[in-house]
Amino acid sequence: MAAVTVTLPSLLDPATGGVREMPASGDTLREVFADLIEREPRLKPHLFNEAGELRRHVLCFHNGTNTRWLDGWDGAVAEGDTVLFMQAVSGG
Amino acid sequence: MSVRLLVGTGKGGFWVTSDDRRAWKVAGPFFKGWKVTAGVRLADGRFMAAVASDIYGPALHVSADGEEWEQLPSGPAYAGGGDRRLREIWTLRENRGVIYAGVQDAGLFTSSDGGASWAAVTALNEHASREAWMPGAGGLCCHALLFDETNPERMWCGISAVGVFRTDDGGATWTPKNHGVPAALEDKRHKGIGTCVHGLAQDPGHPDRIFRQDHLGMFRSGDGAENWERNEQGLDVSFGFPIVIDRASRYLFAVPLEADQYRVPLGGALQVYRSTDGGDSWRSASAGLPAADAYGTVLRGAMAVDNLEPGGVYFGTTSGTLHASADLGESWTNLPAILPRILHVSAWDGS
Repeated sequence: MAAVTVTLPSLLDPATGGVREMPASGDTLREVFADLIEREPRLKPHLFNEAGELRRHVLCFHNGTNTRWLDGWDGAVAEGDTVLFMQAVSGG
Repeated sequence: MSVRLLVGTGKGGFWVTSDDRRAWKVAGPFFKGWKVTAGVRLADGRFMAAVASDIYGPALHVSADGEEWEQLPSGPAYAGGGDRRLREIWTLRENRGVIYAGVQDAGLFTSSDGGASWAAVTALNEHASREAWMPGAGGLCCHALLFDETNPERMWCGISAVGVFRTDDGGATWTPKNHGVPAALEDKRHKGIGTCVHGLAQDPGHPDRIFRQDHLGMFRSGDGAENWERNEQGLDVSFGFPIVIDRASRYLFAVPLEADQYRVPLGGALQVYRSTDGGDSWRSASAGLPAADAYGTVLRGAMAVDNLEPGGVYFGTTSGTLHASADLGESWTNLPAILPRILHVSAWDGS
């Protein structure tokens, strides 16, 4: 099971108590997400909608690749991989 | 005579406190960058605040001291699989040891363990008429809750733009109670809904006397919402959002706005209207409020009373201005702060 580092945006400080980097583990991205939510259940409603999908304006990057570009969440992750959550920013 | 206001804005929460209801201090923001949409002080002394983000959704936080907040591990949530989403928590109330959360998409949830777990009020959330529920401009939301202090089985809720529902059996069944209020949008099949309740207030000690600021005017009921009648005497305009009542005096307060595409104070004069006779008549009670060039809207959750004697009345505007009266609306103080768009105001005694 690979250990990865998850980075979270500052806007989620109220949910995490200010923790912006968390460990999570799994063999796939799906397992990493599940482990992350198990470690910090307060993140679940903020990152995922009722259908279990990423919220519409939440971006997630696996090793710099937008996870929406991937063919699902069942691809393998490796030791030391990074997962970055951030909000989509547009307009002005 | 100290007061603590929770002011929820589009960009965070603020504490506004005073020891004499004349000089005020502003502290915050907390939940910086989040909407603060509702608040309640629980019987155990804790503060509970609802927050929401257009990106990250809603959550509930609790605090023992108003300084350190902790997000509840779980909150109201719809089951997965459908297209219903929990977007915001519009109102929080506690009654007889149960915490109630009225939410958008419209629904009601309860917690009997201090917020640790939440259950959907299925009979309301899955009401047979739901297929015809239409959102108002603020969304499809359950935003007003009233309780019967003499009858634990009876309560009312207001949903925009659907109307008032009442249960007489502890939430097992719910019935629309909007007779006398014109429908904003009548449904072909489901009658008795399609009304657009904006705010509700209840006469303390007389739970069946209910006052209703509706999209289509000001109404009251003397029979627990079985029947509604207009009570608009003295109002220049009858559109508006909040309506509140002071416990001791039973004075009613509302902020009429020019209907309905415009939704700002008539002529730019920010005016509170007060009824001292149970809604028989209304008069402006606006001394000290901006009399010109004021075009902020007062939203449904942005007005509160402190229930001290004499009663204090407070409201905020979408322009971020905050206004306070320590004498039941006889005079008003415009607080020297310009906050983000004000969504919610709660008032409690004690700073």
